[in-house]
Amino acid sequence: MTYVKIDKTSVRRERLAGTMFLLPAFLLFVLFVVYPIVYNVQASTLDWDGVNQGVFTGLGNYARLFDDPIFITTLKNSGWWILLTIIPQALIGFFLALLLNEKIRGRAIYRAIFFVPAVLSPVVVGIVWQRMLDPFNGVFVKVGQATGLDFLARGYLADPETAIFAAIVVNVWMWTGFSMLFYLAGLQLIDSSVLAAAKIDGASTWRTVRSIIWPMLRPTHLSLLLLGVIGSLKTFELVYVLTEGGPNHASEMLPTYTFKQAFQLQSVGYASTISVVLLLIAVVSSLSMVRAFGSGFLTGDAK
Amino acid sequence: MKTAEETTTAAPAVPTQAATRASQPLRRRLRWEHAVLAPMAALWLIPIAMVIGMSLLPTSNPKTTAFGMFPAEPSLGNYVEIWTNNPILRNLINSALITVPSVLLVMLFGSMTAFALARLRVPLKAVIFGALTLALILPMSSIVVAVFKILQSMGLYNNLVGLVLVYTALGLPFAVIIIRTSFLAVPEELHEAASLDGASKFTVYWRIYLPLSRPALAVVAVWQCMSSWNDFLLPLVTLQDNELKPLTLIPLAYRGVFLSQPGALFAVLVLISLPIVVVFLAVQRYLVNGLSGAIK
Repeated sequence: MTYVKIDKTSVRRERLAGTMFLLPAFLLFVLFVVYPIVYNVQASTLDWDGVNQGVFTGLGNYARLFDDPIFITTLKNSGWWILLTIIPQALIGFFLALLLNEKIRGRAIYRAIFFVPAVLSPVVVGIVWQRMLDPFNGVFVKVGQATGLDFLARGYLADPETAIFAAIVVNVWMWTGFSMLFYLAGLQLIDSSVLAAAKIDGASTWRTVRSIIWPMLRPTHLSLLLLGVIGSLKTFELVYVLTEGGPNHASEMLPTYTFKQAFQLQSVGYASTISVVLLLIAVVSSLSMVRAFGSGFLTGDAK
Repeated sequence: MKTAEETTTAAPAVPTQAATRASQPLRRRLRWEHAVLAPMAALWLIPIAMVIGMSLLPTSNPKTTAFGMFPAEPSLGNYVEIWTNNPILRNLINSALITVPSVLLVMLFGSMTAFALARLRVPLKAVIFGALTLALILPMSSIVVAVFKILQSMGLYNNLVGLVLVYTALGLPFAVIIIRTSFLAVPEELHEAASLDGASKFTVYWRIYLPLSRPALAVVAVWQCMSSWNDFLLPLVTLQDNELKPLTLIPLAYRGVFLSQPGALFAVLVLISLPIVVVFLAVQRYLVNGLSGAIK
């Protein structure tokens, strides 16, 4: 930074320009992001149906959470969701990216096939998988009957024991291509001379993948981990369409429960409380990840 | 989980193939990778094949073949049906009226913000960036009540403009982060040279940075397209009139009607998916580069 002719007016003018560039985003942001958060925090202290005047209850709604078995279920389900979507999506996505980073025939078609589920609406994905898993007309049942694999012929979405896991499988189908795309992008940044050097040193393929490629993709793993945790906590549409959180709240996630409390049970105060807790969990887990790993993977500064 | 384990153990074979590339005939090398990829791709396509298959199921004959994936007697009747008996064109137009403006606004505002954060002196850069990441993790469902109230007080309840504004606001964080990374890759000398030639900040942004960041903008466009076109929570809560509803609300709104006409339901699902898949295919080749922050 060795500007010679930096005078105060030019600095001020640049700040003004910078502010003008930021202004539209800033306004929208305050209106639809900052204000709703403040609003939620405030509403979470009220016993409120969303229409009439609310009654101040302090932390009463928060105390209620601990006695709410459905809230505990949502936490447990979020835990399963985080664990069982992030790991399979990363492993399959990484494997697909390794194969599809090679110049093989039909590469673009393969990439498109694996990524397309991610661009579909959860409404579409939900309804299609409902039909696939339908215990009477579904593809799984029919394949099960034809092959004698009886375990396929169960109504997974209707069984409280399995509903959440069925939804997780659907989520993996939907988002694995997204992980693949991230890994493909990460692989682009690996210097091919490093791989050539490993080959000359006689490193086996497995060793190259394990000791060079996998560790060098650290920023990608971390981005996917962060997006996976947040995405899991945010899951609403897919579960809403597949099971509506049922049967009997067995597959309830935090957002579906918030929605039910706010718009079906008219318990806006309590719904806001769940929202605040959800937001806190999301913020704390992202911040601790940023603390632990540095923020470079998020901002791209590490590259 | 099973597949995940299998796939990782299979991984080593790939670069070995590459290493022995010269010594092996071309066809053999290709066959190995396809032997893994083709079955996986086929498995991945089953639900998609089923939507298309079921959309051809006539109401008069609900018999299916191929494990319930295809109708025994396929017909295009459902497409005619949804087009003539329901005001589906109106819903399609609504979806477009929500999506297109929000994509354009997110690209414009997002890239402006990214430019300020990457290349201009602005106060509180770190705070702005922190706030943006906070918004990235903000679940729509947790702000939907508040947004509903805000839109109501702005007179934008039951109005498509309200949806456009909310989607734009929520899409900004991702847009800023992706575009900023790409802007940082533009050599700063370009900027200085243009400034010396008397170009304004806006000209530099519009004429140099934007065109160079096409891959990043493509990523943002696809992402924003997906999230505005596919969302149904916000319209579910903020739109009342049937003639304002976007396509995604149709399957749930007419659930009862579709119960007796599963074929028509799946035809609607195809209609919802088609535009977004076309957009994706059109920009697919930019996506990998755009995500890795490369500039063109």
